[in-house]
This record gives sequence, structure tokens and C-alpha cells, in this order.
Amino acid sequence: MRKVLIVDDSVSMRQMVGFTLRQGGYQVIEAEHGQDALNKLAGGVVDLIITDLNMPVMDGITLIKNVRMQPAMKSKPILMLTTEGLAAKKEQGKAAGATGWIVKPFDPEKLLQTLAKVLP
Amino acid sequence: MESGLLNLRAAPDDVELLNAIFRAAHSIKGGAGSFGLNSLVRFTHSLESLLDRLRSAEMSATEEVIDILLHSVDVLRYLLGAEAEAELPAEAAELHERVETLLAGQAAAAAPPVAEAAPAAEAQPATGGQLNYYKVEFHPDREIFASGTNPIVLLRNLAALGTVSSCQIHTDELPDLADLDPEQCYLSWTVELASNCPEAEVREVFEFVEHLAEIRIQCVEAAAAPQPVAAPQAAVLPASSGAPAAAVAAVVAVPVAAPVVERRQTPDRRQAADRRQSPSRSAASGESGSIRVAIDKVDRLIDLVGELVIAHVMAAQMVEDFEPSCLPKLREAVAAMERNTRELHERVMAVRMLPVGTVFQRYTRTVYDIAQATGKQIRLEMEGEETEIDKSMLELLGDPLTHLIRNSADHGIEAPEARLAAGKPEEGVITLRAFHRSGRIVIEIEDDGAGIDPKKVRAKGIERGLIAADAQLSDDQLRLLIFEPGFSTKEQISDLSGRGVGMDVVKRNVQQLSGTVALASEVGSGSTVTIELPLTLAILEGLLVRVGERTLVLPLLSVVETVPLRDNQIVRLAEKGEVVVIRDESIPLLRLSRYLGLAQEAKMDEAASAEAHNRRLAVIVAAGDKKVGLVVDELLGQQQVVVKSLERHLRKVDGLMGATILGDGCVAPIVDVAGVAAMNLFSLQAANKVSQQIALAAQSIPAAVHVEKEMGGSANALV
Repeated sequence: MRKVLIVDDSVSMRQMVGFTLRQGGYQVIEAEHGQDALNKLAGGVVDLIITDLNMPVMDGITLIKNVRMQPAMKSKPILMLTTEGLAAKKEQGKAAGATGWIVKPFDPEKLLQTLAKVLP
Repeated sequence: MESGLLNLRAAPDDVELLNAIFRAAHSIKGGAGSFGLNSLVRFTHSLESLLDRLRSAEMSATEEVIDILLHSVDVLRYLLGAEAEAELPAEAAELHERVETLLAGQAAAAAPPVAEAAPAAEAQPATGGQLNYYKVEFHPDREIFASGTNPIVLLRNLAALGTVSSCQIHTDELPDLADLDPEQCYLSWTVELASNCPEAEVREVFEFVEHLAEIRIQCVEAAAAPQPVAAPQAAVLPASSGAPAAAVAAVVAVPVAAPVVERRQTPDRRQAADRRQSPSRSAASGESGSIRVAIDKVDRLIDLVGELVIAHVMAAQMVEDFEPSCLPKLREAVAAMERNTRELHERVMAVRMLPVGTVFQRYTRTVYDIAQATGKQIRLEMEGEETEIDKSMLELLGDPLTHLIRNSADHGIEAPEARLAAGKPEEGVITLRAFHRSGRIVIEIEDDGAGIDPKKVRAKGIERGLIAADAQLSDDQLRLLIFEPGFSTKEQISDLSGRGVGMDVVKRNVQQLSGTVALASEVGSGSTVTIELPLTLAILEGLLVRVGERTLVLPLLSVVETVPLRDNQIVRLAEKGEVVVIRDESIPLLRLSRYLGLAQEAKMDEAASAEAHNRRLAVIVAAGDKKVGLVVDELLGQQQVVVKSLERHLRKVDGLMGATILGDGCVAPIVDVAGVAAMNLFSLQAANKVSQQIALAAQSIPAAVHVEKEMGGSANALV
């Protein structure tokens, strides 16, 4: 079963994404912010990371940069959760090494479709 | 919405345009909801979901999608005309199904839609049923792996769109093994694909790597179109094709003549076709529609036109056999024509004015429905329904008000138990209020609900990525976030309260009217949203008064009473202004006459002047709880006046909201009661200064309005 790490400081967002992904047959690991995500990645690699950008402690952009420096996670897909109208953030994320993005708000179906676009 | 869709065909990636269309659909849904048009709500909800995906670039605006959306607009139009509970007509149901199919993400995989019997399907073959041959060149950057992108996944997704007839891999860039960096991509591909999908959908596969690869997609259209759609000439002679879809079909068919055409060429032509369909984008954004006018207003217009015709005939006759003796008569006829024309002009303008009550009424139902659905007790109160406002403004206000009322009812007012617990009456009250203030129309939506919690807004703003986690913002600044696109404090997406586009819509629409939106809220005691609109053109009931040689207009609504001024009532406060004492209340007096054209008065001494004052009247006007007495010489009567803004020609004058042209051609300044009352008039200096200012402005007005007339009266026209 493929593992997905979702990183978001909003519990409701994690719940919603988590629920959808479990329904879609993925194993889900949750993290509250970038640092939490890095700690969890130290325990084992995942197949995909979905991360929010604005978070306390460590934001999404910093997380993406950090992940891309880890040999095991270097080429894994990372999707960022963005808000419409924040083109600058999206560009930053792309530059940091994000694979794709999901525009909030989104519906569960769309989330799964986007995953299919980047997961081998 | 329709024109937006047409424009979208030319620019499928225009996010602003998509947002506009989305908002239109959302507004239709909202409006339908408040009228209880359930079939319409269901239909638009699906549409909205579809648009939402387009908006977030999850799906691309292919021809097929736009086509469906355009037909949907037709269906919407039909549904709007149909009975509230009428079932969807067959074609609408079918369209609904197609929208749902698209939503289910099957658009790519589904076989071309079978030819349907419904007229809606007629234009379909233009895009959906056609088998396209694509040559896709995909040349990733060396560093593409660094973004976590797997090119194989992309190729697999591409293959899923249709049948791959050939896939070439280019290895010429591959270095010797010793020089090979395993983290770099040296390969590129050329794929030939046969697919029913439009080009945009093929391009969408590479959405995430546009900046990381060279992608070239050529559409090599096979002559495999099911039937000769249209001769290539049809595109050159667009007039021959009536329906938009037919025109597009013709354009799409062009490559038949030239087997390999870079797709880049077609958008130009498509744009040309679109330009023809919707002459200009700016024209498309204008509101159209009909207007309901009271019969007496129309009768008066007809009377006026009649008089005008008679005056014209008279004048024409006199000019025909002209003798010097009829010059006075001719003058008279011309003067009559001038009066008629002026009045006609104003009356026609007045036709556009409608009481806001016509829009307010519908919210009773909105509030009722929400109360029913949520188990809350809500009462809607209205004030100032008779305030008249220009029709075009009224139309644009409908949607924002719907959203605001709904927000108040849905999010603002608490459940009865919560209200009781907070020590408030079980029943929540939403007040909808319209009035004039400082030359502007103000509409307030006030509720006594829970208020907007800045902490929640902050958390949401951070989550939505609207503000930084450590942003230092005041509570008021935080509350303004709710007007940002994509913001919604409600977790779930409900049928009525949508996806957080509501407040965004409000701000946009009000700004479109050059208005402002303000928000005041206190946790626990409720929120007030204040919309202020400029009074570019509005009508008010005025009290005409004479001051010296000038006629002034006071808004009748603000006149409390008129009292004869007697000396014993006037108290002169040392170093302060004059007040008149009426029923133990001290009301500051403004003597406009001091500055208004009465030269001899200036020469009078205090005693004589006071004596003259004795014959005068004080009109007491009020704004809120502040009262001011204006000293006038005579009351002339009451009359509806068209307010004309001064700001285009004069700088804004404190104390005047505008001017109007009276029946005899005189220009009369209109006093801004709220503005005057807000000033501190209990000082002689201040009172004098205000009076002087108003008087000076009043005297400079005639010239200004004259200029305006010379310029074709453009300042009068709102649109």
C-alpha cells in the first residue's frame, strides 16, 4: 500500500484529506507542520507528500526544500495545497521542488485525480 | 455569463474570466435559492462544481466543456421562465447528465457522446465526436527529476487519453556511461496519439511540468471527420453561419484543407469569430433587461412629448413665414421647448429610479428559508424601503445583498438555545436599512448575532494561505479578510452558502458601482455591513426654500419641523453660536442668508438684521439625533428633484450633496443635512464658516452646471 504524508496545521483539512485518501486505498501519515513532517520522514520514506504552505514552526516551502535534500525523498512527488490568487507562493513552491499543486478548496474526487497525475 | 463563456473560448486560461463566470453561476444559484426554484438550484450546483474545477485548473476549458456550458446558459434562461417547481425539460436533464459525466472525470475516457435527439446536442459533433491526431513532443529539462516528476507517469497519462500509434524515444543526448548522472534526464519523446480529446486536455497532462520541459503539441487533424462539417470557406465568410457553434465548427474544420497546420494559427481565427459574436467585452459586461415603470410616470412622459411636439410645430410655422412681429412669440415657443426638453430629460432619468423596497422584499423569503432549514428564529426588519436608487445599481445590488443576508442568517444569528444562553432574545433580528447620507446612498445589513470572531478569521486566513502565520493584524484588519477570494469560515460546503465566494462577490459588485463596503462587528453582539454608494444619480423629495435671492433644496425626509423665528427664542451664546430654544432643546442656527446674495443685509447693523430675522423661519432638520436650524426667508413648496453630483466639476463641498435644476431652469443647491449636522455648530466661527462655505459653493454652481450642459450633459447619465 502506498504511503502518503499529509502536512497541514488544520486538523479539519488533515481529516478531510486523510479520509479521502484512506478511502482511495492509501496509507496516510499526518503531520502538523514542516518540522513534524521531517521527524516523521526520519522514521521511513513515503511515496507522496501533500503539504500546506502556510504553517507554524516550519512552512511548506522550507519543508519541500528540506525533503529535496534527502536522498531517499529526492525524487518523490510533492503536491502543495495552494489558494487561488497566490501565484507567487506557487512559484516559490515550484522553485523549491514541488511536483504539482492542488488549489483549495477542492473536492475529494479531484484530490484523487491529482494524485493519479503524479504517482507512478 | 454567456459572453464570459464566449470570451473564454479565446482565452481558456484566463483565471479572472473564469472567476467571473463562476460568480455568475453562483449568483444564479443564490437567486434561484431565494425564489425556491429547486430544479434550477440543482442544475446550477452541478454547473458550479464544473466551473470550480475549471477555475482551479484541474480541468481545462475545452471546446466541449464550453459548448456544454453555453447550452446550459440557454437552459438556465428557459428554467428561469418556467414555473418554480417545473421539472427539468428533457434536454436540460440530459445536459445536467452531461455536466455530471464531466464531473465524474469520465470526459476523457468516455466515448464521444452519442448523437442525442435534443436540440442541445446538435452542435456537439463540432468537438466531441471528432477523432484528432496529435503529435506530442515532450522534451524534459535535465533537472526534471528534482521536482519529483516521473516522465513515465506523464506518458502513461497521455496514453490514457486515446490510442498511441507511435512512441519514439530520443536518446541522442544520452552521454557515455562514465559521464552519466543518474539524477538527470537525458531522454525525450515524440508520441503520436489518436484521441477524441481536445488539445487543451492533452496539454493538461503536462500542466505541472510546463516550466520544466519543452512541450509541443501539434494537432494533425485527419480527414476522418464523420461527415464534411463545413467547407473551409465558411470560416472566411462567417456571416453564412448563424449559430456560434456552427462558426466554431467551421474554424475547427479549416485544417482539413492543410493537413499539417500548427494549431497556433487557429486561435487567431477563433478569436476573430468570437469578436464577431460578442462585439466587445466591455459591452458584454453591461447589464441589460427590462424595467417596470409606474403608469403615471409614463403618462407624464407622453404628455411632455406631446407638448414638445406642439411647441415644435408652432416654432416651425413661425420660421416658415417669418415676420419680425412674431419674434416674441418665437422666443416664447423656443423657451417652452427648452422647458419641456429639460423636464423630459429629468423625467426619463427618473424612470430609472426604483425604490429599494422592490429588492428588499425578496429577502423575507430568503431569511424564512434559512430559518426553517437551520431551526433558528429570525425576523427581518426593513427600514427606508422607499429610498429610490438607480435601477442599474439596484440590479447589481441584488446579489451582494443576497449573500450578506444569507451570511447574517446562516452564520451570524445563533441557534435559539445559544441566544438564550448569551442572554439574548430567542429570536434574532436582521435589519435591512437604506438611507441617504452625505450625498451617498447607504445600505446597511445589521444582525444581532454572534459577530465575527477575529481569532477564527485569523486561523482560517492562515490556513487558506491568505496571511502569514505570524502576521500582525488588528481585529478590524482580520475581519476584512472575509472579503478575500477563497475565504470561507464555514467548513462544510452547503447548498446555500457556497464555497466562500460570497463576500468576494459582494466586494466586487459594490466596487463596480464605485461604492465601498465596511464591516463592523463585535463578538457576541452582532455585525453590521455598510454599503455606501455614490449618488451619481438619484431622486429625492425636496423642500424648496428661499434664502435671500437663492433657492435651496432640503431633503424632505430630514425636515423635522418649521418654526417662525422670534427674537425671544434666539439665544446668543458668548463666543459661541446662536441657538434657538424650542421646547427646552437648544438647536444651533445656521444663517445662510448672511452669505447668500443679499448685499443690503451685510450693511445692516445687528439690530436691523435681527429685526429682519423676525419675519423669518427656521427649518429644523435632523440627521440621527443631531438637529440644525436653517434660517430661511420663505418656504416655496415641495418637489421631487434629481440630484446631480457636483464632484465632477467642483471639489466636494462640505454641506452640499449636490444640486438640481428646477422647472424654471434655476439651479438649486441641495443641502447635505447629515454633513451639516455632523459639524460642530455651537461655535459662532464654525457656524459662520459653514454657512459661508455653503453659500460660496451655491453661488458657483450655476456656472458649473451650465458647463455640464454644454458638454452634452454627460455628467447626468449614469451608465
